[in-house]
Amino acid sequence: MSVFDGLKFRKISSPIHNLDPRIKFIYVIAIFICAILFPQMLPLIILFIIQLPFVFIAKVQKQWIRSLRGAAFLAAFIFIINVLTTFFYNNYTLTFTNVESALAMTTRFIVLVESFSLFFLTTSPDHLGLAFEQSHMPYEFAFAFTTAVRFVPVMAEEAQTIMDAQKARGLELEKGNILKRIRNYIPILIPLIVSAIRRSMELAEAMESRAWGATKKRTNLYLLKLHKADYILISLTILLLIITIYTKLYVQIPQISELLTSLTLFAT
Amino acid sequence: MAVIEVRDLVYTYPGVSKPSIDGVSLTVEKGEFVLITGPSGCGKTSLCRTFNGLIPHFYQGELKGQILVAGEDVTGRQTFDMAKRVGLVFQNPENQLFALSVEKDVAFGLENLGMSRDEMRKRVDWALNLVGIYDLRERAPHEVSGGQQQRVAIASVLAMQPEIIVLDEPTSFLDPLSAERIFEVIYKLNQEQGITVILVEHRLDLTAKYANHLIVMDKGKICLEGNPHDILCNEDVGNIGVGIPKATLLHKQLKMKGFPVNPKTPLCSDELAAQLLEALSK
Ligand SMILES: Nc1ncnc2c1ncn2[C@@H]1O[C@H](COP(=O)(O)OP(=O)(O)OP(=O)(O)O)[C@@H](O)[C@H]1O
Ligand SMILES: [Mg+2]
Repeated sequence: MSVFDGLKFRKISSPIHNLDPRIKFIYVIAIFICAILFPQMLPLIILFIIQLPFVFIAKVQKQWIRSLRGAAFLAAFIFIINVLTTFFYNNYTLTFTNVESALAMTTRFIVLVESFSLFFLTTSPDHLGLAFEQSHMPYEFAFAFTTAVRFVPVMAEEAQTIMDAQKARGLELEKGNILKRIRNYIPILIPLIVSAIRRSMELAEAMESRAWGATKKRTNLYLLKLHKADYILISLTILLLIITIYTKLYVQIPQISELLTSLTLFAT
Repeated sequence: MAVIEVRDLVYTYPGVSKPSIDGVSLTVEKGEFVLITGPSGCGKTSLCRTFNGLIPHFYQGELKGQILVAGEDVTGRQTFDMAKRVGLVFQNPENQLFALSVEKDVAFGLENLGMSRDEMRKRVDWALNLVGIYDLRERAPHEVSGGQQQRVAIASVLAMQPEIIVLDEPTSFLDPLSAERIFEVIYKLNQEQGITVILVEHRLDLTAKYANHLIVMDKGKICLEGNPHDILCNEDVGNIGVGIPKATLLHKQLKMKGFPVNPKTPLCSDELAAQLLEALSK
């Protein structure tokens, strides 16, 4: 059952979790823009580091590291592809600068993963659904989203039950070649689909009985309100964007390899 | 005063040849606790669906006869209009809860009605307190037990303050103790809030004592109707396939064997025990 436990959402409270999801999303987009604007290693490393405090304030280090580890394979892939293309492009030579720009590409990817995982690790689905509802999207979207979150663990549990039941009747899932194995899953899929349809009928019936569609102007029990922390975050985000644009326009960003060589020269 | 009047109702689901409700007429008075029972497939759920217009609006099909709720014809009203009058609670608690927290679920109907936030807050808290789950209001639906889920479903219907609450086998997914607690909650609503209750239930052992109007259905028809004390001693009840309370059966045996018990049919063991004590002390 532990596989499915991961699908269940939990409520955690921390200053980061309590931030307005809309503001957090704007922050993620800002990080995204900054990371795209800089092709150099140095600013990307800075972007990576300035996000670390959020991870620790939210106390999600463990899950966060897990998501980075998940991205490691793709990061390595990006690095190798970059190095190889420059290698072949420059007539089979490779400079420090080349390696560094490949590393920068990889870091950019890691920064993106970092901010997105921070967002999803610290935003509870009901908060997210609420943000959907209160950003003038059609309510059906928000409803579809929260209902999906609500029923994914239920259906996962059901799938497990059906699987156990069919195994008890002698169904062997891990047998035969690929095609056979896929076919083995049919006796599990069919009851699952049938039950999902029946469930959706019952849901629709219950919704109708609770005045679904009574008025176009639906109200909401909760109201998302901006707090002090939200204003702080939005100020930080704006500051970050200003610094980025300024640096981009007026500052010559050094390569780390250059810095290192000049440093070694200086030492000798 | 009659809150529900059904006249010569015949209803057939689309694509089915046999009617599922076959000539039902009944009257429910305001403040009654109505218990509907009968063997599986006799049309209890279908009858419940007619009270708020799910039949015929949601299910389509062919309907003859009349259903009047508070004097108004249901077929002329939308289900969301009826929802303010008639609250339906279904069998499976899991499939009636859609939100990610208990209180949001209780608010669902009120949100649909477009109620103001302050009023909604009051109603939600009132409904949660009434069924005794105020402390669970911030939990997620999968974090509470089946019995508690069913209470959430009841609260979410109550929040709309209906005059009538219809419960279709609300406890069939629960253990007897949780079931009994749910019935106590329902009985309290009936007694203290004056809400008319229509309860569909197989387990008469647990519920007969609450009811003052018992309806026994079979094959889409009503075959017996009246006060449970009168109906349950009827010979025919056993033949239809209705689970008669054990106290009632024992009382019948005692009477047959010539034990001098009170002739009034008891519906639960407490009632029978009182009768036995009375007989023994003479
Ligand atoms: N959605 C439907 N479409 C077609 N036929 C249906 C539908 N729902 C119920 N029926 C049929 O109507 C008849 C009455 O069913 P209903 O569900 O009302 O019985 P019930 O008394 O509630 O039974 P149970 O005690 O098993 O819940 C049955 O013969 C059933 O097959
Ligand atoms: Mg039924």
